[in-house]
Amino acid sequence: MVEQVNSFAIKTKNVSVHYGNKMAIDDVTINFTKNDVTSLIGPSGCGKSTFLRCLNRMNDVIDSCKVQGEFLLNGVTDIYGDSIQVETLREKIGMVFQKPNPFPKSIFENVAYGPKIHGLASTQSELNDIVMESLNRAGLYEEVKDRMDDIATGLSGGQQQRLCIARAIAIRPEIILMDEPCSALDPIATARIEELINELKENYTIIIVTHSMSQASRISQRTAFFHLGKLIEHGDTSKIFTKPDKEQTNDYITGRFG
Amino acid sequence: MNSLNKRLSAEKRFQAYGLFAVALSMFFVLILMWKIFSTGSGAFVRTTIEANVFFNPDFIQVNQNSLEKELYRASYVALADDVVRQNHPNLNEEQFIKVREMYTRKFDYQLRDYLLDNPDKIGQSIIMKITASSDLDQIVKGNYPRDVPEAQRKINDYQLSVLDKLTSEGKVSSVFNFWFFTKGDSRDPETAGIWGAVMGSLYALIICFSFAFPIGLLASVYLEEFVKPGKVTDIIEVNINNLAAVPSIVFGLLGLGMLIGVIGLPYQVPLVGGLVLGFMTLPTIIIASRASLRSVPPSIREGALAVGATKMQTVFHHVIPLSLPGTLTGTIIGMAQALGETAPLLMIGMVAFVMEIPGGPLDPATGLPSQIYLWSESAERGFLEKTSAGIMLLLLFLIIMNTAAVLIRRRLEVKW
Repeated sequence: MVEQVNSFAIKTKNVSVHYGNKMAIDDVTINFTKNDVTSLIGPSGCGKSTFLRCLNRMNDVIDSCKVQGEFLLNGVTDIYGDSIQVETLREKIGMVFQKPNPFPKSIFENVAYGPKIHGLASTQSELNDIVMESLNRAGLYEEVKDRMDDIATGLSGGQQQRLCIARAIAIRPEIILMDEPCSALDPIATARIEELINELKENYTIIIVTHSMSQASRISQRTAFFHLGKLIEHGDTSKIFTKPDKEQTNDYITGRFG
Repeated sequence: MNSLNKRLSAEKRFQAYGLFAVALSMFFVLILMWKIFSTGSGAFVRTTIEANVFFNPDFIQVNQNSLEKELYRASYVALADDVVRQNHPNLNEEQFIKVREMYTRKFDYQLRDYLLDNPDKIGQSIIMKITASSDLDQIVKGNYPRDVPEAQRKINDYQLSVLDKLTSEGKVSSVFNFWFFTKGDSRDPETAGIWGAVMGSLYALIICFSFAFPIGLLASVYLEEFVKPGKVTDIIEVNINNLAAVPSIVFGLLGLGMLIGVIGLPYQVPLVGGLVLGFMTLPTIIIASRASLRSVPPSIREGALAVGATKMQTVFHHVIPLSLPGTLTGTIIGMAQALGETAPLLMIGMVAFVMEIPGGPLDPATGLPSQIYLWSESAERGFLEKTSAGIMLLLLFLIIMNTAAVLIRRRLEVKW
């Protein structure tokens, strides 16, 4: 598969992450193609969440965490370089977390917060448009349009997670990182989110950590299998789930360990 | 089966012990309350004697055209004496002195205050309820026994006979004692009020809050959110916890030595009292505030950081507002504790006899607890009921503050 440099949203090379003396990621090199959904799978503690959080530098707040290696956004911008501020980076790379974490404010405020601090809207009506559009894209607008001023923590779990997705896309990122976004949700809410991810990949590059192999096979075009901090295999989802190159991958997806 | 019965009866015994402990403490609280209320309720009424008052211009040397300043400065002592003579005719000098003692010494002020409000009454007669002296008041309230030898009584036989005559004429009555809530301290129990002390405490608490709350909040936010944990923060943490346990009199000494001695702030003013109480409350606020900052889930911080908020925006837009109910609750409880603190006030001199109601934090004043302490030291029986009434007022303020703390926590608490 030959690809142009600029068709990669994020390129990483020789990434190692340590928590103190403990190695969490060991020499991982992986590129994420644009407008694809890439699933990171692997057993608990394999480092897939750690790796995901390196991509928008959420690990910065953990003092003991040391990140080495090369991270390039759109093939040019060094994510850990001096030329980019972490706030600007996170404007480009949004994130959705495992447990829905809406701010305990109104639904409107939740979505409007990002655009407000980045100055994306100069007038109130522009802000309203951004909020409406983001909620629309997250498939939540119809459900909440009559109660935009209600507190967001009163929504159901699935609605809260879609609100968090709306909050992430409201600042118009290029890439959305999702850290097990469905693990706290029931099957119906999960199906809604999966549907949404499918729609979002038209406009965004999505990198998702998931524990559910069926989910990975349903929603992603590319899949990367992590084990004990190492990237074992990375490739098209259909290939990983049918004819993996490595025996370890085969063992994992057939449920022999993990 | 047998062992199950044993365990069940052990549980019953344990519950009985618990019930006994609760009942015992309730019993002591009730005794305390009963004692305070039965002693203090007398302070809310005062005995008055009805008298015919003729504002004789000859005695006060003013007329209806006099300015308010002249009315204020006029001598009412002679008028007061005249009122006594008019209402008790045919007294010899010895009898006059005894009868005059039955009325409050501040009789003249009562006349002056009335005339200032009603200057048109000069040269006219009115019926007025004159406040009785504290000793007479105590006899009427039944706090002083009448059936003991005259030498052991503060009211002698002649005064008793006059009192009985006045009572039979229906001239002795009890009125609600507004003075207790509006006046400052006094040497005479019948005219002593708590308002000066309330204002002193209020100014001190305002200073205490404006000093301790912002500093406590900033310190806790910095320690909890910004500084990297290490040896230095550990030492600071231990010291803050120790400060919370330092006896309040030590803070009083700090105020006396530093604020008054080195910086040169005035003695016995609410400004110094408030600062000292602020030192004392600061650790409480910091501990409460840090605990409530810590209780804000990390997921909220992550959510804000992930949309590109800076650390400061995350803290000020999300973390502090969410932690504020806990911080405020801790602050109010700390201030309630400060309100009841006596020792620091003693050290910095807010325990003097102050008649004037303080107009600001730089006027000499007492505080509620130090006023109670002052009254409790006085020999007159009349101050005993003032002491208990003062305690009732202090307890009332404490209950209000603690209720406010609970309400704020309930109202603003975020449901996750």
